[in-house]
Amino acid sequence: MGDFLQYTVIGLTVGSFYALVALGYTIVYGIIRLINFAQGDLSMVGAFLGWTLLVSFGFEHLPVYLALVIAFVVPMIGTAIVNLGILQFAYKPLLRRSLLAILITALGMSLLLQNAAELIWGAAIEAYPPNLLPLSGFFVGPVHVTYVQIALVVASLLLMGGLVAFIQGTTIGTAMRALAVDHDAARLMGINVDAVIRIAFVLGAMLAAASGVMLGIYYVQIHFTMGFLLGLRAFTAAVLGGIGNIPGAMAGGMLIGLLEAYTTGYLSGTWEDVVVFGVLITVLIVKPTGLFGERVAERM
Amino acid sequence: MIARLSDRQVGRAYATVRDRLGRTPYWSRVVVALAAIGAAVISWNDDYVTAVAVSVATYAMLGLGLNIVVGYAGLLDLGYAAFFAIGAYTSALLMTQAHWNFFTTLPFAVLFTGTAGAILGYPTLRLRSDYLAIVTLGFGEMTRITFNNWEYAGGPNGVLGIPWPNFFGYELNTQGDFFIVGLFLLAIAMIFAEHLDHSRLGRGWVAIREDEFAAESVGVPSLRLKLFAYVMGGMWGGLAGAFFATRIGAIDPTSFTFQLSVLILIVIVLGGTGSLPGVLVGALVVVALPELLRELSDVRLLVFAVLLVGMMLLRPQGLWPRIRRKPKPFYGLQEEEPEDVAARILREHQVQMEERDRRHAAAGHKVPAKGEVLLEVDGVVQQFGGLRAVDNVSFSVRRGEIFSIIGPNGGGKTTLFNCITGVQRPKRGRVLFDGRPIVGLRPHVIVARGIGRTFQGIRLFKNMAVFENVMVGLYARHRTMTWQAMLHTPGERKDELRTLQESRRWLSFVGLESMAGQLASQLSYADQRRVEIARALAAHPHLVLFDEPAAGMNPTEKLELVGIIRKIRDLGITVVLIEHDMSLVMRVSGRIAVLDHGILIALGKPAEIQNDPAVIEAYLGREDDDTDALTARGA
Repeated sequence: MGDFLQYTVIGLTVGSFYALVALGYTIVYGIIRLINFAQGDLSMVGAFLGWTLLVSFGFEHLPVYLALVIAFVVPMIGTAIVNLGILQFAYKPLLRRSLLAILITALGMSLLLQNAAELIWGAAIEAYPPNLLPLSGFFVGPVHVTYVQIALVVASLLLMGGLVAFIQGTTIGTAMRALAVDHDAARLMGINVDAVIRIAFVLGAMLAAASGVMLGIYYVQIHFTMGFLLGLRAFTAAVLGGIGNIPGAMAGGMLIGLLEAYTTGYLSGTWEDVVVFGVLITVLIVKPTGLFGERVAERM
Repeated sequence: MIARLSDRQVGRAYATVRDRLGRTPYWSRVVVALAAIGAAVISWNDDYVTAVAVSVATYAMLGLGLNIVVGYAGLLDLGYAAFFAIGAYTSALLMTQAHWNFFTTLPFAVLFTGTAGAILGYPTLRLRSDYLAIVTLGFGEMTRITFNNWEYAGGPNGVLGIPWPNFFGYELNTQGDFFIVGLFLLAIAMIFAEHLDHSRLGRGWVAIREDEFAAESVGVPSLRLKLFAYVMGGMWGGLAGAFFATRIGAIDPTSFTFQLSVLILIVIVLGGTGSLPGVLVGALVVVALPELLRELSDVRLLVFAVLLVGMMLLRPQGLWPRIRRKPKPFYGLQEEEPEDVAARILREHQVQMEERDRRHAAAGHKVPAKGEVLLEVDGVVQQFGGLRAVDNVSFSVRRGEIFSIIGPNGGGKTTLFNCITGVQRPKRGRVLFDGRPIVGLRPHVIVARGIGRTFQGIRLFKNMAVFENVMVGLYARHRTMTWQAMLHTPGERKDELRTLQESRRWLSFVGLESMAGQLASQLSYADQRRVEIARALAAHPHLVLFDEPAAGMNPTEKLELVGIIRKIRDLGITVVLIEHDMSLVMRVSGRIAVLDHGILIALGKPAEIQNDPAVIEAYLGREDDDTDALTARGA
């Protein structure tokens, strides 16, 4: 039982990172029906930007709160700019072309980001400052919870809350929801469709970057290929929750995190991806709308 | 002299040469081309060059397989390396554990990967293509991780000490030997791929890629074909995998990563999806470019990523694109006089119908005679959320008549068509065709039962030639098997020729024979509608449903359309028409049904409908002094 709770804590922590990336998939997909393969790699870019600031620029020596604010805010902005560039340069010209063309392009952008990152930051594993946040923790019964875990989960929840508030509470959020239903009708109502798409890409990138920095703080080690598996798991999370569905993405992220933690804990780390992919395939086959619903099977 | 040739003349000369070449059997061209490449590489006599050439051949084989899945059928597969891995492991384990000969393992490698294709394909066929991409990616990774964790297959170390292939006592162990084996396998892979491309299967795949919904609605069993694409694609990957295993001598899971899947995808995107020579070009670029840019090996993948995105943006058709337009599609076919064509169509159609009626009767069903009920719509209800698009509609269409369905926009006419053709399943009610219920059948099955259709918004396969569009309509009537198509057997050739001839007749029937070689998208609106009609007729239906065939036509074209519709009826085909042009409807229809807000408000002869107060009200509102507008238009 103690083990189980311990794995649950780990799973929820990791799951909150997945949830953030999954939200990026879901927001972009909801609006332009595109699986932005580069989502996971944006997270990697965010992680490296954060690392550059903290380690290369030495901001880790600033007071911890200031360092954290810089390490989150600047990568979020930087990654948002990168994603806007991808949208403008690669996706925009293809939006009216076949799904195949745009999927291949998205894949190409993912590859491009990875290899550009390798070129810029090198192929070596880099390390976040290990003692940025206090490493200690406390026991709840037999379960050890660290302050880092608490801080990261709280930060993720705050970001998710902010996102929901933005989408439900602001005019732009309303426009995003309208666009998810019907592009043409939204355009006719005077919504600047291009601007809303850009905002979706900015939001997606910011969430991804935040999760990247969190991963860096949590796992310490970062690598230019880390976005690939992260992206896949997050995508699985988005599908599990029903792609296009925001609460679904959050729940899906947590579920995938838990699943991964239990698999690693009870089975073996070597099988965790097989289990995650197995879940993905099973969900798509058995309940393609995900747990919280979104139609994905092609209408015939 | 040469300088004075215009572009057009050059183009025509090129087309003629291509046509001539096109008439030599494909296998002979492949053999000549590959033999020439082979001779060039071998005479170079450089082990390094030969080794690179072997790699090119391997990638080309993989590209050919992925091309079937992505290029023909339009299904993005991001885990193709899995098939390569399964083929390699199958062959390697059989050689090392069971001590089989390489060539004996080949059929098993191909069989296993084909099966793997079916296992992957079957449950995922109904998925949207973007989900499919992710599922295939997952499949690829799962396969690799499974091999990595599988002790019998050596785990992370893989299979070592794979023997050289033994060819009747002669051990093949030099790069030159492998090159020859590779070329041989590549030739087989290319010839089979080309044969498939030019068979009904290939046309069916492209039709699915262009518009899956339309393909299914004109008789292409889309799910089965997609499954075939996976199985075939897997088989090619298995062949390449087995070859790779024996050549390298040791395989391990790191040879089969996602990166490899992406590289194979780059091979076909660079070359041009769907294009076979393009695959060779793509393989050459993907393998040879890194060799040329050794000092830049760090940025190899970056270069490929840029190439991939750049190609999609700037030259999506690839370096050596596939051309589907054919200047003279009927070259070499026996010429037929127009009267002859009409007579043949009539005769052929009667034969088809009689045969069908006979089969129908033999199965114990009642065959409706002319004037008896052919299609019965009984209490059909279709509901979208709170909207009843079709509300308890019942009527019957008699064999041999022209029946029109009219009504204001949003009246539920197209929804009714969709319920009849199996596109949608009505919430309630029955649809009987030939006395048999057809609700719940898939659209292509309903086509095979004898119902053809056209679409309100034209849904042709835009990037296929006009005659190919019609040939897709003939899909259900082919009599050949897939293996025959792969081998391009005499039987299959005859079948193809017959199909081609028939598509030509149907095009001549609608007056478009001269446009046959053009791309469907190049035709005028009215002509596209006529191609749709020819495509629907090609399946020799008992009943055709035309959804607003006159929309966008000018008066002359409408007049011709009336002629075509009457000719169709004269063939003995029953016609159901949705149309807004009242003068056309009144002129051709035997009976008319009027739908308003999903409710059948009138049914009768044209004259009755024109004077029906309910119909007039539906169209014009309640104002009494406007009533003569409808009768005036229908004069």
